[in-house]
Amino acid sequence: MKKCDKCNIEIETKQLYCPLCHQVLTGETDPSFIEVYPEYVSLTRKILPTVKKTLLLLSILAIVIVALINTLAFNGVYWSLIPIGSTLYFWLLLRVGVLSRRNMAFRIAFLTVLLIALLVLIDYRTVPENNGWSFDYLMPLLLFSCNLAIFFIILVRRLNYRDYFFYLLIVIVFSLIPLILVAFDVLTILWPSLVAFGLALFILLFLIVFFPKTIKEELQKRFHA
Amino acid sequence: MIDTTKYKSWFRLDNSAKIFPEVSTERDTNTFRVQIALTEVVEPEILQLAAIGILERYPMFRVRLKHGVFWNFLDRNTKDFKIQEMGHEVNARMDTKDNNNFLFRILYRNNLIAIEMFHSLGDGGGVIMFLQSLIYEYLKLKGYPVTPDNIIKTKEGRPLEEEYEDANEKYYNKKNRKHVPEKKAYRIKGTMIPNNNTGMVSGILSTKAVLELSRSVGLTMTQYFSALMMYVIYNTQIRYRGHLKTNQAPVKIFVPVNLRKHFPSETLRNFSNFVKTELVMTDDDITLEELFVLVKEQFEKGMTKEELIRKMSENVAFEKNFFLKFMPYYIKKVALKIGYNMLGMKLNTMSLTNIGKIVFPESMEPYIKDVSAVVCAGSYNTVNCAILSYKDQLKITISRSILETNIEKEFFRHFTDLGLSVTIESNYVEEFV
Repeated sequence: MKKCDKCNIEIETKQLYCPLCHQVLTGETDPSFIEVYPEYVSLTRKILPTVKKTLLLLSILAIVIVALINTLAFNGVYWSLIPIGSTLYFWLLLRVGVLSRRNMAFRIAFLTVLLIALLVLIDYRTVPENNGWSFDYLMPLLLFSCNLAIFFIILVRRLNYRDYFFYLLIVIVFSLIPLILVAFDVLTILWPSLVAFGLALFILLFLIVFFPKTIKEELQKRFHA
Repeated sequence: MIDTTKYKSWFRLDNSAKIFPEVSTERDTNTFRVQIALTEVVEPEILQLAAIGILERYPMFRVRLKHGVFWNFLDRNTKDFKIQEMGHEVNARMDTKDNNNFLFRILYRNNLIAIEMFHSLGDGGGVIMFLQSLIYEYLKLKGYPVTPDNIIKTKEGRPLEEEYEDANEKYYNKKNRKHVPEKKAYRIKGTMIPNNNTGMVSGILSTKAVLELSRSVGLTMTQYFSALMMYVIYNTQIRYRGHLKTNQAPVKIFVPVNLRKHFPSETLRNFSNFVKTELVMTDDDITLEELFVLVKEQFEKGMTKEELIRKMSENVAFEKNFFLKFMPYYIKKVALKIGYNMLGMKLNTMSLTNIGKIVFPESMEPYIKDVSAVVCAGSYNTVNCAILSYKDQLKITISRSILETNIEKEFFRHFTDLGLSVTIESNYVEEFV
C-alpha cells in the first residue's frame, strides 16, 4: 500500500504520484499487484493505405480535369456527367456496398435507388435526342432485380429474416412508380414496368400468405406513435 | 438459443429513454457502468457462458435500437452476444459494430466484471439486478455453492410482464403536470481530456463512519454528500470570484431518485426522477453548516409524492404532445437535439447518484470484494459522482471529463481531515494524454 502524505490517503498502484495532488507517493506496492484499470492504448485509426490514397487522388484529379474540359469546350452536352457520376458511384459502392456493415437489404435498396437517380440524370442531361431509356427499361428492371435480391436474402437467412422485411416492403412500394408513370404517359414501353410490378405483387402476396404475422408486427413497430 | 416465440419481440422506449439516442455523442455518451471486483481472477470463457445463460432471463436487454417512422424502438437482437476485455475507455459510446448492436457491454479484466449500459435500456436500478444475476450465474458455473435466496433473479425464472413496463406512464397524472421553468446551471470549467477519455477517481470509506457523520448533523448520506459537493465546488471554483458573470449561475446538484422505492413497480426500465439542490453562490462567506440546512430543506420539498409525480408527468406530457408525437422521426430528432443542446443539458452542474446499499445472498459474499458505479462525464456536466455501498465499504466514484482534480482532492480531504481513512483507486487518466 502506498500513501500520499499530503492528501492523507492510501492507494495501491505502481504509479509514482498521487492522482489527487500529483505529489510523489511514499511506501511500496507488492510487485505482483496488477493495476485496477487498464493502460492507455491509442485508438487512432491506421492511416489509410497508400493504394486507397492514390486512388482517391486520381479520382479527384480525373473529376476536376473532365469537368474543366467539359466547361471549356462546351457544346451543349453535359457528357462529363458519365465519368464523374461513375467515379462517385464507384466510391459509394465501395463505402456502402462493400465496407459498410449496415443491413444488407438497406445497402442494396440504397445503391439501387442511387443508381436509378444517376442513370436518369445521365439519360436526360447527356444525349440530347433519344432519351427516356432510363425510365423505360432501367428503372423497372433495376427495381425488379433489387426486389428479387432482397427476397432471396429473406428466404436464405431465415434466422433473422425480420431485419430485412421493412426494406423489402419499401422496394415493393417503389415498384409501383413505373406503373404510375405509365398511367401519366411518361413511359412508352410497357413490358419492363409490368414485369417489375408483377414480381412485386407476387412477393407481396407470398409474404402475406406465409408471413402475415411478421408483416403486421413490422408495420406496428415502424409506425407506432 | 432463445426461443423467439416465447417473449415479446419488440419494445417501445420508455419515456426517459426516448431522448438519449438523439442527443448522445462521443463525449456525452449517456452510458453508465457498474462494476464488481471478485476475490479471484475472472475466467472469460465461463463469464461468456454465464452472460448467454442469463440473457434468457432478461429478454428486454437482448435488443437493438431501430428507427421507426415516428419513434425509435427496441427490437429483438438475433445476433450473438460477446463479452469483451476491458480497455482504457470508460463509458464509451456503444459501438454498434464491435458490439453486434447490443446496447450494453460486459467487460472483464483481472478480477473485475463490469456492465456498461446505454441509458435507453434502463437505469441503475435495473442494471444492478442484471449484474447480480450475472455474478450469481458465473459463480454457479464455477461450481461454488451459491444460493439465490430470493434476492437474485436466476436463469430458471421467467420474466414478469411488469419488468418491461414504462412505469412513468402508469403513475402519470394529467392534472399535476405544471411546467416549472429552470435557469442554466453553473458549469465546472477545466481542461478537457483529449480523445473523449474519462478520468475516474474512487474513494473507499467506511459506510458506518460516514453514516454516523451524516447522522450527527441530522442528514441522510445523500444529503450530506450533496451539501459537501456544493461546498467543494464553491470553494474550488467560485469563492472570491462571485463578481464574474459565469459564476453567478446557480450551482445545481442533480440527485436521481429511484422511484421503485416510492411507487410500487417491478420495472427494469428507466424509472427514476430527481431532486435538485441549488444555490447562487456569489457570497464570500458561505459555510458548510448553512448548506446542510438548505440541502435538507430542498430535499424534503423535492421528495414529496406530489412533486415527484409532477416532474414525472411533466416529462410524459411532453411525449404525449400531439405535434411532437406525430412529427416524423428525422424532424423530431433535429428538434430534440436543438432543444437539448440549448437548454436541456445545461440544467445541472453535477449529477450525484447514490445507488445505495447492494445486498448479495450470504453465500455469494465470500467471492465479492467490492462493487462500484461510474456515470459518464460529459461536455457540460464535467464532473459527476456515483456512490454505492456494499457491506461496510462505501465507494464514491467521481468521473470527470476534465484533467483538473481539485474537486476530488477537496472532497476526499474533507473526510481525511475528520480522521476517516480513505483508500483511493484511479485510472490515471493523466497518463492517457
